[in-house]
Amino acid sequence: MQFFLQQFINGITLGGVYALIALGYTMVYGIIQLINFAHGEFFAAGGYLGVILLTWLAAQGLPPVICIALALVLAMIYCAVLAMCVEKVAYKPLRQSPRLSVLLSALGMSIFLQNGLMLTQGVYDRAYPTAMTSGGFEVGGILVSYMQIFIVAITAILLLGLNALVFRTRIGKAMRATAQDKTMSALVGINASHIISLTFAIGAGLAAAAGIMVGFYYGSINYSMGFVPGIKAFSAAVLGGIGNITGAMLGGFIIGMVEIFAAGYISSEYKDVFAFIILILVLYFMPTGIMGENVDDTRV
Amino acid sequence: MKRIVLATLVVALFSGAAYAGALKLGSQSPLTGQYAADGNDIANGARTAVEVVKAEGGIKGFDDIILSPQDDACDPRQAVAAANKLVNEKVSAVVGSYCSSSTIPASEVLDEAKILMITPASTNEKVTERGFKYMYRTCGRDDDQSKAAVAFMKDFLKAKNVYVVDDKTSYSQGLADNVEAGATAAGIKVLGHEHVNQGDKDYSAVLTKVKEANPEVFYISLQNSATGALMVIQAKRMGIKAALMGQDAVYHPQLMEIAKADAEGMYLTFGYTDENAPAYKKFLAAYSAKYGKPGAYSAYAYDSAMAYLMAVKAAGSADPDKVRAAMLKLDFDGASKHMKYKENGDSGSNYIIQKVAGDKFINFWNPETGKLY
Repeated sequence: MQFFLQQFINGITLGGVYALIALGYTMVYGIIQLINFAHGEFFAAGGYLGVILLTWLAAQGLPPVICIALALVLAMIYCAVLAMCVEKVAYKPLRQSPRLSVLLSALGMSIFLQNGLMLTQGVYDRAYPTAMTSGGFEVGGILVSYMQIFIVAITAILLLGLNALVFRTRIGKAMRATAQDKTMSALVGINASHIISLTFAIGAGLAAAAGIMVGFYYGSINYSMGFVPGIKAFSAAVLGGIGNITGAMLGGFIIGMVEIFAAGYISSEYKDVFAFIILILVLYFMPTGIMGENVDDTRV
Repeated sequence: MKRIVLATLVVALFSGAAYAGALKLGSQSPLTGQYAADGNDIANGARTAVEVVKAEGGIKGFDDIILSPQDDACDPRQAVAAANKLVNEKVSAVVGSYCSSSTIPASEVLDEAKILMITPASTNEKVTERGFKYMYRTCGRDDDQSKAAVAFMKDFLKAKNVYVVDDKTSYSQGLADNVEAGATAAGIKVLGHEHVNQGDKDYSAVLTKVKEANPEVFYISLQNSATGALMVIQAKRMGIKAALMGQDAVYHPQLMEIAKADAEGMYLTFGYTDENAPAYKKFLAAYSAKYGKPGAYSAYAYDSAMAYLMAVKAAGSADPDKVRAAMLKLDFDGASKHMKYKENGDSGSNYIIQKVAGDKFINFWNPETGKLY
């Protein structure tokens, strides 16, 4: 039981990270039907900006809590702006082109951003100032680190915030309208172009937050760190029903849990196999994912 | 007219490639990807050797020495492509690669083209056990490395049990299997042998298992120091009390840079290098002036390139068979160790146990004598 609960906590933490990244994939897909392969790179860029800011802020003598909060917010803003630029350069000119062209452009952007990070930040892994968040406590033999609480708490806050934004505000309504029908929403006075930019920005901001949390949790980052979690998060988005926000969150937690339990009870060698078996099974019986991708009201 | 211009360009291109009278050698190692740190250490080590030899007047009979570094990303397919590229560039020797899983397929291409391959870092036994005439190895072998590790567990730590984790490459799994077999033969119980995937960052599930097994020694066989550091951090956070042991791929200053205090007291097997010897000091001065702090295998790459250049000097030509004969006659103090190649291409192992103390590795235990340094 103790073993199970410990693995459960491990799974929740990993799932939270996947969920945050998966949201970016799903939101962009929902609105322009593009699988944004460059999304994993925003996650890596966020991680790097986080470590740069944290080092600088800590050197200014600020307390750790303020350092982390500031670094999180600034990295999210930076990646949001970066994503808007990427959208402008790589996707906007191709808005009327076949979907395949945009997809290739996204792949190219991914390679460009990853190599850009490598050239500017070097090939060596960068250590995170983990001392800021070390420690934890034990309840009945189960170890919970402050870092895990921090990840789950930030993930929950961001997910709730996003839900409120999409379902309770005018911008959210405009986003949902654009996702349903771009032409029609433009006719009623929504600037679709701005809404698309905004969607990219929000997704990248969430990925940046995930990047910083991963840096803290695992203790180091490197320029190619976006690839594997990107693939996993994409699977999570598909699992939940691509285009569906609640589905992406659910998918993220499911993939995280399956991976951890497969590694814990079967073999860590096959954890990815099990994650993908679940994905295939779900898609076989529910081709549109768990939450379905065509439920228009919840789609962005 | 256009055709003539094109033809001239093509001729110019080819004559440029075949620089008259230059000695051309290549290096191949992962310059990008997750093993890029070690790969760049190797390329820089080879570069340093070329620069040192050139600064000392070059080699008689050659106008210049050119090094062509290639990236194989520690991917067997890219390794074969890189080897083919070097064959086309007509290099006479290749320093590389890092991963055994790259060196093995690349050497098949190079050996057929009669190009010498000298690996500074691939420790898997198979590298020199396929009867290849032009394959050399400057580092030690994993069968020897696992013996040193098991001897340390048994004679020094007096461990009764061990838990082994690897990340499934020819090198890391091969070594972990050797350690498992060696430990079992020595009466040390192997409580578990798990495999993780390359590129994983989250080891929490596997470490929860290790914690439950509560071993006395936790043997970590990963392909890279950065992933090794991640595992060490997470193991400490999980509250694993076992003595941590690593191997040569985890041996890199990067381990302490990332894991910091969590790496303190970790034991690693690595070849013995006398850092006070004049050959090492000469290498360190030349290397650090241009490339900064050397990594684990920088000195080995330097020695690999140096050995080749010395053999060419002795043979007076770059003819592969003459150089091969000269290589086998070499006997000198290199930066990393005493260099003397055997008929099968190996140069002997000298694994010792090193220990992490602060931000340094210190020589800790000698398996030959069974004594502390």
